[in-house]
Amino acid sequence: MVAESTVFLPAEVDEAARIVRENRNLRPRGGGTKPALSSPLAEEHVVDMSKISGILEYSPQEFTISALAGTTIREIEDALAENGQYLPFDPPLATAGATLGGTLAAGLSGPGRRRFGGIRDFVLGVRFIDGWGNVVLGGGKVVKNAAGFDFPKLMAGSLGRLGLLTEATFKVFPRPHSTITLEVDCGSLAQALTGINYLNSLSIDLEALDLIPPGRLYIRIGGFADSFPKRIKRLQELLEHEGRLLENEVESQFWEQTKEFSWSSPEGFLVKIPMTLAKVEKFDEAMENYGLARCYSSGACLCWVAGKDSRHLPDIDSFLHSLDLTGLVLRGNVDYPILGAQKGLGFLRRIKEALDPEDRFLSFKETISESS
Amino acid sequence: MLHKIQAEKFGSRGEGMAHAVEACVHCGFCLPTCPTYLTMGEEMDSPRGRIFLMKEVLEGNLSVDQAAPYVDRCLGCLACETSCPSGVRYGHLISPYRAYAQKNRKNNLFQKTFRWLLMESLPHPGRFRFLLQMAVFSRPLQGLLPRMLRSPLSLLPKTIPKEDDLPEIFPAKGDQRARVALLTGCAQQVLAPEINRATLRVLSENGVEVVIPKSQGCCGALAMHLGEVERAKISARKNLEVFENAGPLDAIVTNAAGCGSGLSEYRDLFHGEPEEERAKNLFALVQDVSLFLHNLGLKKPSGWPEPRKIAYHDACHLSHAQGVREAPRELLRSIPNLILMEPLEWEVCCGSAGTYNLEHPETADLLGQRKAKNLADTGADAVATGNIGCLVQVRNQLEKTGSNIHVFHTMQILEEAYRNGA
Amino acid sequence: MKDRAALIKDLGRIFPPDRLLDSSAQLAPYESDGLTCFRSRPSAVVLAETQEEVIQTVRWCYQHSVPFMARGSGTSLSGGSVPVADGVVIALNRLSRIVQLDPVERTVTVEPGVVNLKVSEVAAPYNLYYAPDPSSQQICTIGGNLAFNSGGAHCLKYGMTSNHVLGIKAVLPDGEVVHFGGPSLESAGPDLTGFYCGNEGLFGVALEVVLRLLPKPEFFRTVMAAYDSMEAAGNAVTRIVSSGLLPGALEIMDRLAIKAAEAAVQAGYPKDAAAILIVELDGEKDAVESDYIRLSALINETGANTVIVARDTVERMKIWKGRKSAFSAVGRLSADFIVQDGVVPRARLGEALAEIERLSNIYNLRVANVFHAGDGNLHPLILYDGREEGALERAEELAGKIIKLCISMGGSITGEHGVGLEKKAYLPEMFSPVDIETMERVRAQIDPKFISNTGKMLPGGEAPALVIRGLHPLEKEGILSRE
Repeated sequence: MVAESTVFLPAEVDEAARIVRENRNLRPRGGGTKPALSSPLAEEHVVDMSKISGILEYSPQEFTISALAGTTIREIEDALAENGQYLPFDPPLATAGATLGGTLAAGLSGPGRRRFGGIRDFVLGVRFIDGWGNVVLGGGKVVKNAAGFDFPKLMAGSLGRLGLLTEATFKVFPRPHSTITLEVDCGSLAQALTGINYLNSLSIDLEALDLIPPGRLYIRIGGFADSFPKRIKRLQELLEHEGRLLENEVESQFWEQTKEFSWSSPEGFLVKIPMTLAKVEKFDEAMENYGLARCYSSGACLCWVAGKDSRHLPDIDSFLHSLDLTGLVLRGNVDYPILGAQKGLGFLRRIKEALDPEDRFLSFKETISESS
Repeated sequence: MLHKIQAEKFGSRGEGMAHAVEACVHCGFCLPTCPTYLTMGEEMDSPRGRIFLMKEVLEGNLSVDQAAPYVDRCLGCLACETSCPSGVRYGHLISPYRAYAQKNRKNNLFQKTFRWLLMESLPHPGRFRFLLQMAVFSRPLQGLLPRMLRSPLSLLPKTIPKEDDLPEIFPAKGDQRARVALLTGCAQQVLAPEINRATLRVLSENGVEVVIPKSQGCCGALAMHLGEVERAKISARKNLEVFENAGPLDAIVTNAAGCGSGLSEYRDLFHGEPEEERAKNLFALVQDVSLFLHNLGLKKPSGWPEPRKIAYHDACHLSHAQGVREAPRELLRSIPNLILMEPLEWEVCCGSAGTYNLEHPETADLLGQRKAKNLADTGADAVATGNIGCLVQVRNQLEKTGSNIHVFHTMQILEEAYRNGA
Repeated sequence: MKDRAALIKDLGRIFPPDRLLDSSAQLAPYESDGLTCFRSRPSAVVLAETQEEVIQTVRWCYQHSVPFMARGSGTSLSGGSVPVADGVVIALNRLSRIVQLDPVERTVTVEPGVVNLKVSEVAAPYNLYYAPDPSSQQICTIGGNLAFNSGGAHCLKYGMTSNHVLGIKAVLPDGEVVHFGGPSLESAGPDLTGFYCGNEGLFGVALEVVLRLLPKPEFFRTVMAAYDSMEAAGNAVTRIVSSGLLPGALEIMDRLAIKAAEAAVQAGYPKDAAAILIVELDGEKDAVESDYIRLSALINETGANTVIVARDTVERMKIWKGRKSAFSAVGRLSADFIVQDGVVPRARLGEALAEIERLSNIYNLRVANVFHAGDGNLHPLILYDGREEGALERAEELAGKIIKLCISMGGSITGEHGVGLEKKAYLPEMFSPVDIETMERVRAQIDPKFISNTGKMLPGGEAPALVIRGLHPLEKEGILSRE
């Protein structure tokens, strides 16, 4: 029996809560930029949050911003830019139309996470509808808060399976006055990893540090431009490479394309894989053999893998298992978006039971099923 | 902390005890510098834990005997006073508390005899030397002794140094800049008479005339720490008189930190008693020899032809009880070609702590080994310190680890630095 | 209670006698933590030395429905490590192995009893350090930091404990052992590690924690600037923050706090200043120097009358020592005081301080202020004389007013000390009944018997919170006593 998928489009939070109370198998959707997370499978219904949108509170001197879940990242970034501020975790897919709620629920950060941390480090407060249909507040609106359980962090990466995000508050930072990027081709993956390890071990404030295999490093620095010549010179000396400077438009274009995954095919699949430096070589060799595109971000703590054919996904899944790594499919045909080793299911199951005992939202599973 | 201690019930020092309890905010900043907390890792064996326990006893909620094991294990190093941001005078609590507890506890006969033996021997150089000689002869038999008696024997030197009969006046070299009296220290003059000799030469080199009153006695620190107040007072009264009759003095210098803080405690010992004023006057004159020389202005020694690395070990009774940390370092730094090394955990006791290594040999050993390692890790050729107890303990502990680092009194290092130029 | 005592003997199957404490003299020193106005006596304290002993103890407690509390060094300022009356205290200070240090991934795996500062010490040979720096860092443990999501002076730039915890192995209150997170900075799926942080001991006991290490900043500029008024210092903070500079730390101390710190550690603060500002820039040398030019201009423009710039590490540590000793140092001004920990929006700091001053006058109680100005995290220290009839109650009432002030300004009841026992009565002012019910539901799934540090954080139930006036309900029952 295959039931038709319904798309709910609530205009108000109360309406969304009613939808939750009255339905099961709900799959929240924001901008739909991560189809593997937002496209319904059989017997699932979509809650489209795009109408629950708008900035609620933004006081530049507080360096915090609160907005409804359906607000686009672009709208938020524009508002922040007017005051020389930004979201330091550098959310991806903003141009494609990603929303605040979708980005938080997917737990995504861009290359800028290198400097100050990822989305989980910047979310201060959330409001979400739990499986009981209650609107629950977690965290607060000030930059520092230790009261109550940390629901904001729990919601980061919750994939809409623990609750439906309706609102979030973030800490923001002053945007660097200027940025400049040094591109260095280290020749090989091993050389590039040595370079990353070296840069990671020094107290050098990098806005971003990405690697495109086999050996190209993109090193971004920010701050007052008067400090750049000295700092760039130091980087060149440290890496023993002149490299090439990316400046102004060219520079911002490069990072924009990186964040939009312009290097991947929109029809194919895209997987996020939390990574460690020690595992890159082994991992990369396998991906190279599959003929997949990769980008290692933020000092290689994160890898993006893209390919044309979703039939590769089960292979990636088992390979991730063998390396004790986890992956999250953002685009591609899968029944379940988490690949590889999942940690803490015993703990997660209890939380799910508390927040959504009747499976109003989708559940968490042990393993991936075959791609359809 | 709030408390319900009725201070007046505990005599003249009750108020001081109550103040110390009041001032403690239980923040725990004392824990990392407390030698027993570091080795035992229990709240009862920490300064704030002991304050809590003593408070409970003084309030009448616990008996002296219940608290005794933990209070007894305190080394009295006072590192907690140095690390306490709230300014708790722990010494003002533990000393009078021990005196109170001593009177109100069921004593273990063995311990009582042992303590009696200590108090009847250590403070009397003649008896102590005799005992030491006996002990050295009997060394082959020590396996037959109970553990508590074995541990002091293991601390003994291989041979007993010859007695050094010091003159009553040691003249200043050149123009006289000051006149001081020297407290010679009971155990020190038997175990290492060369320390007093070195002290006299260094003082003399700096234009200081030194009086060494013949009739001086033990400072009483040992009795005070064992809670034997009356015995301590007898020693103290005698010394008050001796030093009052020593003629005009710029200072009474001490070269054993334990004795220095013992003399400094007379003020508290006689608090509210007829001798209080005299004890205060004496206190005003007492100075560790390193501080005295530093204040006087040290005559530059000639030092060594080759660089030497010397690690400085802080004696608790100098650094914590008397607050003298910089003066000895400054003296050492002023020696040409001396490179001063600083060990980790400078504030942690070496485990000597008066007679602690005799009464609690296991803890003392743990602390001694920890100290020996920290000192050896500095890569120093020698260690300088300002207390005979530490000197013996650190020397033994270093020997145990197979190290050949020598341990000296700061004055011995200085003396050598002068001698080289002569 | 006799039954409990008999039951406790059964713990002897897990612990040798010297690590199972149950006599009065052994238990008394465990009655309080850093907040001595609460006391409560456990039935036993066990000194765990292995993870297995902790797991067995938790399972034993679950089997016998005996409440337990895990304790590190007992430095909580919210009563978070006050024992559950008649329960078991699992002391973790001896469970302190450094399991693994990975200089390449820049992580260190430690057991919960490891002292915060020790982590930086073991990382130092690799030029790495652990960033969160609560003032009690020389003694507070990672387990406690994790349970209370501790902060510190450098939160402004580096975040709190949960921003530095990557993975956790824990035993849940019913004895199940769980692992989550891992060595990567990134994760896929719900952030369980982040959620576990700050649970205040309600989610069982962490056994191993993977911490993130950072390269030691290669350069610091630490500046102490004195001002004639609190307002001027507050304005300087606003100017600095809005200038686009991001200092590692941005702290203010007021006149009373300066006086106390000077008495305690002689940090070299000007004694006649109304307020001092401590600003620290850290990071890459050239970037810091470039920022420092802007910072000094701002400090000059905001009318600082004395400015001291640390020339070396010794001078830098001296400036920090005063700040970090401030809480305990206030003990020199008054034996009794209450430390508060509220947060207000940064732009309303001045307003909040003025209101605190007004309240201080009304209640006729001195209030010293030490705070993380960059975060809007206030630490008013309310001084009172415990021997004076009704003074404690007045101080508590004033503390309550200050907390409510923070909430009314859209802030929080705690920035970094946690809710603990002390502020649980105020949790409902910040969260709705539905929010709290949701927390209760999560807790019930994780701790079905309500035995893990029960009575902390969540209001109601088995141990009511501190009341503003008169005896605490637990005091009336004789379960709890306040010193």
